Amino acid sequence: MNALGPSLAPYIRSSRTLSKWVKPISVWYANLMGYRKMGLKYDDLLIEEHPDVQRALTRLTPREAYERAYRFKVASQCSVLHKPLPKEEWLASSEDVRYLKPHVLDVIKENEERAAWDEMTVQRK
Amino acid sequence: MLAARASAARNASRIARNFATVVDTAGVKVAAVDNGQPTSAVTFLIKAGSRYETKPGVAHALKNFAFKSTAKRSALGTVRESELYGGVLSSSLSREHLALTAEFLRGDEPFFVDLISSFITSGKYLRHEYDEYVVPVVEAESQAASSDSATLAVEAAHALAFRSGLGSSIFASPHHAITTEEIKSYASSVFSKGNIAVVGTGIDQSTLAKLVEKSLASAASSVAPATSPSSYFGGETRIQSHGGLQTVFIGFGTTGPADPALSVLSAYLSPQPSVKWSQGLSPISTSIPAGTSVQTVLLPYSDATLFGLLVQGSTAQGVKEAATVATKALKESAGVKGDELQTAIAKAKFSAASALDGREGIVNTLAAKIFSGSETSIESTILALDKVDAAAFSKVVSSIVKGKPTYVAVGDIHALPFSDEIGL
Repeated sequence: MNALGPSLAPYIRSSRTLSKWVKPISVWYANLMGYRKMGLKYDDLLIEEHPDVQRALTRLTPREAYERAYRFKVASQCSVLHKPLPKEEWLASSEDVRYLKPHVLDVIKENEERAAWDEMTVQRK
Repeated sequence: MLAARASAARNASRIARNFATVVDTAGVKVAAVDNGQPTSAVTFLIKAGSRYETKPGVAHALKNFAFKSTAKRSALGTVRESELYGGVLSSSLSREHLALTAEFLRGDEPFFVDLISSFITSGKYLRHEYDEYVVPVVEAESQAASSDSATLAVEAAHALAFRSGLGSSIFASPHHAITTEEIKSYASSVFSKGNIAVVGTGIDQSTLAKLVEKSLASAASSVAPATSPSSYFGGETRIQSHGGLQTVFIGFGTTGPADPALSVLSAYLSPQPSVKWSQGLSPISTSIPAGTSVQTVLLPYSDATLFGLLVQGSTAQGVKEAATVATKALKESAGVKGDELQTAIAKAKFSAASALDGREGIVNTLAAKIFSGSETSIESTILALDKVDAAAFSKVVSSIVKGKPTYVAVGDIHALPFSDEIGL
């Protein structure tokens, strides 16, 4: 399993009926998870110890890296106080973008390509 | 007997077409030489040297971006696939040209021409590749250049002699941050059809032309970035440096196309002997102190030339003596005539001709001529050298020496001489 975990999202998105039914549930569940109340984005929850994520993190722009560290500071302060942020400071769902996912996917693709070149057999034509 | 005849015919055709002819293929100039080598090489020459750069160091960064990800294949794929073919990829930068070279076995040319042209037409210039692969190499090359006193002296001499344009360094400086967007926009401005020439060795001209036409079909045909013509200024600078040899560069420059008399002057002054363990016939070699060396530096560009003497030694005192001797020899060489001049002309002719033996020499010789569309044959170069007589030689030498000198001292600047102390 890769760093992003298993996902049914591509299948659900491909069917219009299914996505119409599942979308409200996913919005409800994302709010229920509570990370937005701590000011975090979904990609902040990716397991940082995974080598692919480690490599992807080095590819963030300095601005993105700074903001990620800032969100972590805010969240750990919330954790110390044992309460979420005041409601007006919760992360809006429009701001919850997957800023790290494209980089992780790039890293996974590179590793797969490297493995493919390592294991290839040459056929003379 | 038939075999003998066939080989004679082959020799005859080889003599008749002794050097590359330049053909314009859909806006791209293509030249090829086939001397029957077992391997082929293709060099894409792009007018993207440091004199055209929009910001210091962009050309150097672009050079190290070569063979990274393109729309067709990733950086890893480029390396692995060319390894499977047994090819060697390299890129090099001069003040005028960026050269992307692939060397490979005969018959693999479709792949390698496609590989280089896919970088030219569809390079991706990814930010993480820049941080992970390009920046470390750029920094290491700049660091190595700044710790080599001869390179440092020649770089400083260019900055003094030509200021902007040819004066800009081919190495990136640590004081200018470069972003991938800047590299990308520089690349898109220089990678246009009129700005590219292709030189092949060990490959048939028509094959190469056909491949280039096909693979560069999607290249932009926009106008090349304009440069102002170079002018020569000169001046003096002293750079503190430790660890390397004490170095002094004494240079003179001219503008306009390269003059054959300057190659003769370089051959006359060069203390490099033709025979091992001898001192040579140069007026410099016999009188410089032991432990010092003098090299002639002749750097012809499309619209200017820098000629100089690079004096190096372990002690500042020795360098001072050698530089005084070299300056005196340079100033007196205007009066050279007779056999001495003929010897120098012969030496210059030989070095011009023998440069064409190697792959690098062929590319360098063609690079200077291919864009201007001037005569590329070696005969024309030799004829121009033959035409140099005592009067023309002394006129050129005295005019170049009359100009303001470019003087650079690198090393222990408290002990190294100033330009007036060595007779400049």
